[in-house]
Amino acid sequence: MLIVEICMGTCCHLMGAQDLLDVLDALPADQRRLIEFKGVTCFKNCGKGPSVKINGNFLANATPELLFEVLQTNLQ
Amino acid sequence: MPEINEISKIRRKVLTELAQMTFEGRLHSDVENILHTVVTEEGPRYRCCVHKERAVLQDRVKSALSQPMDISMTEAAGAALAGVISDSPIIQVLPVACDQCPLDRFIVTDACRNCLAHSCIASCPKKAISVVANRSFIDKTKCVECGLCKRSCPYGAIIEISRPCERACELGAIAAGKARKAVIDYTLCVHCGACKMACPFGAISDRSMIVQVIQQIKAGRRVYALLAPAFIGQFGIQVRPGQVLASLKKVGFHDTLEVSVGADAVAVEEAREFIERNREPKGKVMTTSCCPAFVGMVEKHLPAMKDNISSLVSPMVAAAMDVKKNDPEGIVVFVGPCIAKKSEAQRYPGIVDFVLTFEELATLIVGAGVNVTEMDAGSFASAGSKDGNIFARAGGVLQAVQNVLSQLAPDVELQAERCEGLGNCKKCLQEIEAGKRNANLFEGMACTGGCVGGPGVLTDSRITTKLVENFAGASPEKSAVANPKSEELIKLGLHRPHEQHKDSSAD
Repeated sequence: MLIVEICMGTCCHLMGAQDLLDVLDALPADQRRLIEFKGVTCFKNCGKGPSVKINGNFLANATPELLFEVLQTNLQ
Repeated sequence: MPEINEISKIRRKVLTELAQMTFEGRLHSDVENILHTVVTEEGPRYRCCVHKERAVLQDRVKSALSQPMDISMTEAAGAALAGVISDSPIIQVLPVACDQCPLDRFIVTDACRNCLAHSCIASCPKKAISVVANRSFIDKTKCVECGLCKRSCPYGAIIEISRPCERACELGAIAAGKARKAVIDYTLCVHCGACKMACPFGAISDRSMIVQVIQQIKAGRRVYALLAPAFIGQFGIQVRPGQVLASLKKVGFHDTLEVSVGADAVAVEEAREFIERNREPKGKVMTTSCCPAFVGMVEKHLPAMKDNISSLVSPMVAAAMDVKKNDPEGIVVFVGPCIAKKSEAQRYPGIVDFVLTFEELATLIVGAGVNVTEMDAGSFASAGSKDGNIFARAGGVLQAVQNVLSQLAPDVELQAERCEGLGNCKKCLQEIEAGKRNANLFEGMACTGGCVGGPGVLTDSRITTKLVENFAGASPEKSAVANPKSEELIKLGLHRPHEQHKDSSAD
């Protein structure tokens, strides 16, 4: 199980956090099943958002492409 | 709204930093720092060099401060802090940022095979095409851009390119000027923001009053936020309306009111005007008046139909008048998805004091160090009815007026039409006027999807439309007619003579 925490705070929302959520939703069902999504209100890393944590590993300035890549690496 | 791109990110970073510096009282001394925090030596780089990047950024900052381009950033910060708002246009092309996109509309690509048929040469009425270096060549001095060559090529080897800003403007208000820089013709522009959204270089910007609003809050004035009904879901899909209100309180707004209450009053009074106009048989078409870009389009592009616009003020103005009646010293800040509202507000000095987009408000909230998602939701129910709340999405105004009509005059003959997009609205109204289409009530929306699809939103319009629908359905007020606030507002006089007829063409 991969724990994916995405910051949904206002600062990260402005920088495109919703687009990251859409990446999870667009994954094939068999991959999506392996992911536990958690919405977080703030990682106290504002200014470097959108912020994501994947199994505890921090990912700053995340973009949909970057998140997708990291997810694929972790799911293999 | 498309995915958040780099242009949005830069714009939002600039606004957030300006807001933060203003709240912390260090804008005047530190404004130049933005040049190093938003554009760093390490990149990413979008222009030729870091210096060009920073020159563009200076323009962005001055636009965000509502100041002219020919003063220094520090001077601009000082003026904004003093409350000055320059009389420059609401939307403008940032001089350094415009990348002078090429004008050559038709281009022969590598796909040209120098075939025997040479249908391009045969098709050209100006004899502008010849074969050069084993490929067709278009002589730009002869080309009249008719496009026949493009259509004639069996390989599709001739492509047509157009400037994104020109293509986006359905009113022909932006074109290449000297040195190929884009120039807006303000006698045609209605400030809809389509060009701003389309420019891939982020070279078109609307000016912001964010610093001026923060200064009012810091000065201890009673500042009222008037939220357009499209606010649902803008700060995150999961965010509750009560959290938005709590955030605004924490930031320092005196009170927050919903513009949907003004929309209720407008729906009722607009329905009454419709009944009045249709007393004589074969009444002319009456259009809605709440979308300022639509109203501007009719005024500037179909002036003969000016009187077809309903005489009602917009819900924004109605709600603002209500605030000023109860608190004449209060400062009204309308917050919505719309850039054209900034232009509309200029017609109502002393009623609507400032206009912010949802994007600008969110940067103001972040700049104040407040996180909407961490606020308590409390209990919140809309003060506007379902009718007023659905003004936020396309078709909503029409539906609201129809609901009122079904209660006040169920027998009135009604033929409704509606359009989204200024080009569509213009075409449809012309057809109605020419008798090719029958309608006596018309809803015009400049943005696709209605207000939820405006240029100042933070959430995809398809999602917001659903959220607006749910929120509207849950309102305790069942209809605009039944909402006691409607008649109270109508007593304030919601017809447009209030408007000080300032020519907005030169704003």
